Amino acid sequence: MIAGRMSKVKRSALVFGVMVVGIALLLWAGWHNLRERRLAMQKAQASHVVLMPEKSGQADGEGELPKLRGKAAPGFALTSLEGKKVSLSDYKGRPVLVNFWATWCGPCKVEMPWFEELRKQYAGQGFEILGLADDVDAGKDVIAKTAQKTGVTYPILLTDGKVQTAYGGLDVLPMSFYVDKNGVVVEVTAGLGSKDEIEANIKKTIASGSTAVAAGGQ
Amino acid sequence: MRVSLAGLLPFAGLMALPGVLPAQMGNLDATPAKPRAYVTYAAEPQSVTVGRRSVLELNFRVVDGFHVNSHTPKSELLIPTQIKLQPSAGVKAEAVVYPAGTAYSFSFDPKEKLDVYTGSFTVKLPVVAEAGAHTVEGTLHYQACDHAACYPPKNLPVQVTFTAK
Repeated sequence: MIAGRMSKVKRSALVFGVMVVGIALLLWAGWHNLRERRLAMQKAQASHVVLMPEKSGQADGEGELPKLRGKAAPGFALTSLEGKKVSLSDYKGRPVLVNFWATWCGPCKVEMPWFEELRKQYAGQGFEILGLADDVDAGKDVIAKTAQKTGVTYPILLTDGKVQTAYGGLDVLPMSFYVDKNGVVVEVTAGLGSKDEIEANIKKTIASGSTAVAAGGQ
Repeated sequence: MRVSLAGLLPFAGLMALPGVLPAQMGNLDATPAKPRAYVTYAAEPQSVTVGRRSVLELNFRVVDGFHVNSHTPKSELLIPTQIKLQPSAGVKAEAVVYPAGTAYSFSFDPKEKLDVYTGSFTVKLPVVAEAGAHTVEGTLHYQACDHAACYPPKNLPVQVTFTAK
């Protein structure tokens, strides 16, 4: 009787032991799996860069655009292709289009001939355009040759890195800042617009600043 | 032996734990800060034969709605897509082989023909490697545009991991 009970106890202990070992194995397997997945994820994250830009057609800088609209245009003094020092303040009292472009930017080169045409059309109202080349590393000669190819005769200035920062970092090209005669940014556009849109912005810039407002960076 | 169900519950909870935790960790780890880029790189571990010339594949994807210049754009003003790889011990790498681009024109300038990569593209890297695990570090230099704007050139870090057996 006692021997039978002892045997039953032994069997129960054995079953319990097997269960404990089984559970321990399951826990170890789970922990091991967790560790492996964690390592794999760390490795994948280190080498797999999944980065999403803004939605297509929407300029990166558009979020920044309202920041300068209605504010004083940041002043600058840059060197032209002819080696002349040109400041935004030189154009105080005149409506100015500050256009950032680059030799590698196709859309920029499409609108440059339009700018030239509209500049002539609105010259009587004192309108001027300053083309700021964003890619000075391309070299002065390449910039000059590219500008010449587009037929523009307005001043082309070589950027210094600081002016890009002052105008919001320029994550997209072309980028245009329409500055009225008081030095206030009336409109900001990123990416290529239509010729009609550009002309409408020029008209708006010329019309703006008739009443005295605080002078900007010009 | 009598083992009650209630007595097993704590163990059941513990057994379920390994399955639950990784999923939670995955969610936590899946929200890293995302800087901006227009090309992504899919790092896939590869294996090659020791001492034999093998070709590794570097798979990239241009984000929908954008294009980048191919390695051989049609104008010297355009910035070509280019990979620069660092030397790696035990790996003899040959020059990378770029895929051919496809013809593309902006709708506003149909006469100007560009040569670009859109969607997925694969760059091939021939190597001869010693036995073991290897990592070749590098950078993809590219310049992207969409239908109406262009974006300054960018560098995408690339890490090619493979094992030579």
